[in-house]
Amino acid sequence: MTPVFVLTNHKGGVGKSTSATNIAYGISQMLAQFGVANHRVLLIDTDSQGHATLVTTSRNDFGREDSLYTVLNADRKDATTILKQCIVASEWDANLHVLPASPLLEAAERELIAVPGAPYRLSEPLSQIASHYAAVVIDTRPSFSLLTEMSLIAATDALIPIEPRYLETVGLESVVNKIESIRQGWRCPDLKVGGIVVTKLDKRMKGHVEMLDGLKAHPVLGRLLCGVIPANEAVAYAHHAHKSVYEYNPECPASQAYAVLAAQLIKKTMVIRGGA
Amino acid sequence: MAKKADTPNRINALLQDVGQMMILNADPTERLQDTHLRVENLPIQLVRPDPAQPRRVLPETIYQAFHQQHLTPYQALKELVQLVQIAARQKGRPFTHVLDLLPNPNDETETDVPVTLTPEEILLRDLVNLAVTIRDDGQVNPLTVVDKSEGMAHIYQIETGERRYWATWLMMEFLPGYQGDGSIPCIIVPSNRASVFRQAKENTSRAGLNAIAMARQSALLVLAVHGIRPPLDGPVSNDFYRLALEFTLRDQREHVNDILAAMGGITRSYFSYYKSLLRLSDEAIELADRHNIDEKRLRYVVSLPSEAQTEMVRQIIDFGLTSAQVKELCSEGDGASDVSRNDGVSKKTRQLVKLIRSTIDTEPSQVAHALVEQEKSVHMATARLNELRELLIQVEEFLNDL
Repeated sequence: MTPVFVLTNHKGGVGKSTSATNIAYGISQMLAQFGVANHRVLLIDTDSQGHATLVTTSRNDFGREDSLYTVLNADRKDATTILKQCIVASEWDANLHVLPASPLLEAAERELIAVPGAPYRLSEPLSQIASHYAAVVIDTRPSFSLLTEMSLIAATDALIPIEPRYLETVGLESVVNKIESIRQGWRCPDLKVGGIVVTKLDKRMKGHVEMLDGLKAHPVLGRLLCGVIPANEAVAYAHHAHKSVYEYNPECPASQAYAVLAAQLIKKTMVIRGGA
Repeated sequence: MAKKADTPNRINALLQDVGQMMILNADPTERLQDTHLRVENLPIQLVRPDPAQPRRVLPETIYQAFHQQHLTPYQALKELVQLVQIAARQKGRPFTHVLDLLPNPNDETETDVPVTLTPEEILLRDLVNLAVTIRDDGQVNPLTVVDKSEGMAHIYQIETGERRYWATWLMMEFLPGYQGDGSIPCIIVPSNRASVFRQAKENTSRAGLNAIAMARQSALLVLAVHGIRPPLDGPVSNDFYRLALEFTLRDQREHVNDILAAMGGITRSYFSYYKSLLRLSDEAIELADRHNIDEKRLRYVVSLPSEAQTEMVRQIIDFGLTSAQVKELCSEGDGASDVSRNDGVSKKTRQLVKLIRSTIDTEPSQVAHALVEQEKSVHMATARLNELRELLIQVEEFLNDL
C-alpha cells in the first residue's frame, strides 16, 4: 500500500509547505539512490495559497481546468481520469509529480460543503492511482477546513509540523485529537498520526531547547517525534530560488535534517523485514 | 550563499549517506518493499497488453489495429464481436447478444450433437464465460503487470493474464449487471525485475501455449540473449521473430540451459523444431495459430515452398490430417528429382500422363474405394483429390498458353 503523508496543522507558518516539498523530493531521490524502480512521488497541494505548487513548478497560474479544483468538481466517474490529466511534473525532478493548487480552492470549499460525498472527492480518485507512486505527500492549508478533512481521509500518515513555542505545543493535542476524530468519524482505519516534526528550532534559544526536551519527555508525544528541523536561512533562500533545500545547499543543517526525516519515513512505511 | 559546484553529486551523497546509515545498515534483514512484488487494484485504463506476448488473444487483424492505437479496447472487442457474428451467421447460428453464445441450461430444445465452432466463436465464448465468472464471483487471480510508466505516462504492461484483461473489458462494456469501479487486481512487477525469461516460464508452465506461440516464445528468448528487444510500441511482426532464425543454440552455449528451462524443459531438438516454425509464411502462421495446430503436424509443412504452406495448413484444418499423413503429403515432392536425361521430365510425371489415357474405362466409385483403401482415410483421400484437382487446373492453364 502506498503511504500517503499529510502535513497538517491549523496554525500557519509552521513549515508545512517547506516540509511537504522537501520530504517529497527527499523520498523520491533517496529511493532512486537505492535503485528502487518506482521512485515517483506525488505532491498534492491543497492550500489555496499554492506555495508548494509555486516553488516546485515555478507557476501559480493553475485554475479551473488544470488543478486540484478541477478534480474536486469532476463527476465521480471521470475524477480519476481528470486527476491524471491535472498532475504535472515538477521542475525539481521528473519523478516528483505535482497536483497543483489554485486560488479557486477557496471557492471550492463553499461550493462543495453541501454536496453529498464531498469529503471523499480527493481520496476516491487518489486511491485509484496511488499505487503508481512510491509515496504521496499532501500539503494542507492552515485550518481544519473541508479540504483538510479531504486530505486526512485520503491519507495514511498525518505528520504534524510545529514550532517549538508554548502556544504551539498547547495546540498540539487538539491537532492529534482532530486526526483521531477524523479516523473514527469518517471510518479511515488506515489513518494514523505518523509523527511530529519540530521545525525552525534555534538551539541558541533556551525556550526552544526546553520545549524540545519537554516534548521528548512526554509519554505520548515524545514517541511521535520523528524529526527536528533547525532554523536555517537556506530554507528561505531556497524558496526564493524555487529550489529544494537539498539543491540549494546540500550541506546546510536543514538539508541534513530533512534527509534524516525522509529516511525515517521510508524506514517506517516502505521497509519490510525478512530475507531478500 | 549556496555552493554551486557539483550540486547533484553532493545531494546524492547526502541522501545516500543518510539513507545507508538509517535504512540499509540499521538491520540487515530489512529491505525496501518496492523492490518486491505488490498487489494493487489498478484502473483498467492504465493496463495494456504486451504486443510481444507470444500467446495472442485477439485475431491478427484486430491485434494489429489495436497495437497501432487505431482501436480502443472497447472498439477492439466490438470488432471481435462483429467478426464472430458474421462467422456464426455463415454457419447458420446467428446471435444478437454475446450471452447467447453460452449454453442455456433451461433450453431443452438444444441438441446434444456437438457443434464445431470457429476459432473466433470459441475465443469469444470463452471470454464471455470468463467475464460472467468474474462478474459473479470476482477476479480471483490477479494479472501480473510490469510497471512501464515513464514521465507523466502511467502504463502497466501485462505479463500474464491478457485473457482476464479482455474478459474484464467485455464484462464492463457488454454484459449487464457490472457494478465495479473499473479497476482490476494486479501483481505489479518493478520494471527492473521484469524479464523475458520470467514471462516465458509463466507462459510455458501453463497449458494451452500452442506451437506458434512456442515458436514466438523461443524467438524472444534467443533474441533477448543477443540483446535484441521487440519494438517498444506497436504490433510485433513475424519478421521480428524470424530474426531468431539467424541464431542457433550453439551461439548461446552459456544460455542454453536457461533458455530450455524457460521453454518448459524441452529438449534441444524440440526447441529447434519450434523455432523453425517461424519459416512458415505469414498466412500459414496466422491459420496455424488460430486453429492451434500442433508442432508435429506443422514441422513437415515448413519444408514446402511458402506458396504451398498455407494450402497444406488449410487441408490439415479442413480434413484433420494426422502428422503421418502430413509427412507423407509433404515428402512426395522430394521424388520429383527423378528426372530423365532427355527432356527434363521425371518418370513419375510420365507415369501420371499415361494414366490419364485410362480414365475412359474407369468407374468413379471404384476409384473412390481404391483411393480410400490406399490412403486408409476418407479425409486423406479427399486431400489427394484436391491436390490432383489443383494440378489439373494448372496443367490446363499451361495448355492454353501453348
